[in-house]
Amino acid sequence: MNQFSAHVTKNREIALDYYELSFIWSADNTPEPGQFITLRCGTGTAPLLRRPFALSSYNPETKTARIIYQKRGEATTLLTAKHPEDTIDIIGPLGNGFPAPSEGSRPVLVAGGIGLGPVLFLAKAMRETQTPPLLIFGARNRYQVPLEIIEPLSASIDIAVCTDDGSQGFKGTAADYLQEHCPEHPEFFTCGPHPMMKAVYDLSRTCRARCWVSMEQIMACGVGACMGCAIAVKGEKPFARVCVEGPVFDGDAVVW
Amino acid sequence: MSTIKLQLNIGTKTLPNPVGVASGTFGYGSEYEKLIGLEHLGGLYTKAVTLEPRPGNGIPRIIETPSGMLNSIGLANVGLDAFVRTKLPYFKTLKCPVIVNVAGSSADEYLRLVEALEEFDEVWGYEINLSCPNVKKGCLAFGSDPAQVETLTASLRSRTAKPLIIKLTPNVTSIGSIARGAEQGGADAVSCINTLLGMVIDIRKKRPVLQNMTGGLSGPAIRPVGVAAVYNVARSVKIPVIGIGGIMTASDAIEYLLAGASAVQVGTGTFVDPGIPEKILSGIETYMKEEGLADMGSFHRFIT
Repeated sequence: MNQFSAHVTKNREIALDYYELSFIWSADNTPEPGQFITLRCGTGTAPLLRRPFALSSYNPETKTARIIYQKRGEATTLLTAKHPEDTIDIIGPLGNGFPAPSEGSRPVLVAGGIGLGPVLFLAKAMRETQTPPLLIFGARNRYQVPLEIIEPLSASIDIAVCTDDGSQGFKGTAADYLQEHCPEHPEFFTCGPHPMMKAVYDLSRTCRARCWVSMEQIMACGVGACMGCAIAVKGEKPFARVCVEGPVFDGDAVVW
Repeated sequence: MSTIKLQLNIGTKTLPNPVGVASGTFGYGSEYEKLIGLEHLGGLYTKAVTLEPRPGNGIPRIIETPSGMLNSIGLANVGLDAFVRTKLPYFKTLKCPVIVNVAGSSADEYLRLVEALEEFDEVWGYEINLSCPNVKKGCLAFGSDPAQVETLTASLRSRTAKPLIIKLTPNVTSIGSIARGAEQGGADAVSCINTLLGMVIDIRKKRPVLQNMTGGLSGPAIRPVGVAAVYNVARSVKIPVIGIGGIMTASDAIEYLLAGASAVQVGTGTFVDPGIPEKILSGIETYMKEEGLADMGSFHRFIT
């Protein structure tokens, strides 16, 4: 992990209120799918805290990393105003990424909304290895589907887009889609709204598959110092910190 | 001005410079070792240690507020035994003074903690947490009564010759009288302020955002409260005052020093930018050179 000042190379809207920010990576370590950064969105005291964002891609040749974010508050609205040549204050890579899938399993990647970022990064990494994954993406409607980001992947992996209103792809949630189209010997990797991840986890229990979940919690330090980003877990200790014990957890360890 | 003296005496020891990092915001130090040079810190105040391990409060524990944040962590920590076993060896490797923040739910617990840590040279001194607003027993209950502060401080004093710093809460009627209790009990310094009691309500769910209902408010929003508290405390006691509360820049820290503090701690500011303590130290040095101030005491002659 390092703190570095990164040059923005691109910042564009990829779907309604969804943005992709590209910047030059200069930390010592290369990021893994599932890992995140914290970023200072403003320069003053409001918004104050750094915001965590999962990485959505990393290109080792150009040393370019990306995040996908949704404009939904003051901090992310400030972020939309960043232009190429602006610099942003980044700490990363942080947290633990997704583990490699077990041998013989079919990776099923399930993303909801802004959870698409880390899942896309994972899908790109899996493209080059073993069994190609199935990627399921759920959004409210077609305006929130960043097709130009997802479609280039369809040459190498199977992709299903689901919308709540049926305006694009399958009508229903990503979990609804899975109920009908779950492949054999699945292993789940998911990031998105809590109810969606819980639904995917519940499904994993019925088909006795492993399920890796990328959890979200309000964060202050991002490095394990403040104990603020705790989530409830099973086992000896009742809580785990999303920033250092996570953000990726074994679904069996989470108190849903 | 030929030389500037940044050191500061606390009891029998000397802090190398006036900028430390506040308890609860810096873990046990190792969390930040890859991001900043810990050797530059004028004091690493550890996450509070209690006799038994504590899991901490329910979730969510934090929420951002206008120019600040509200937290209710509940002194989540590994407990004394694990602290001695797993954290002290790391402190041995550090060049900065490590001040252990001690919290208990009874007077006896505070005493037992200090007794147990006394033999370790890597413990530079103690900051006695009489001010956490987020736990049901101890802390604030002691910290809001001058007589109890004096009695507990005196008991602790009889058990250690190391620097003994009492951390004060702003959630009282007269912080100056609490500080006097600490001084009369034999404290070497007081630090203030801990967080202010606050609440944020989710108007759609119609309940407080934090599971613990209330939390401690920190960050730039509370800085003027902290500066006023330091001004008040510095006029009530002769021992050094360590200023805490919303410090983000050198000029914020200098306000505290002019109000009567001899050192400061950076808390929430480190979350925003871990490099802040070092920038503040360098800013204080520059200011001292520009203003012809020789030492930390020389800040105190302007505001009377």
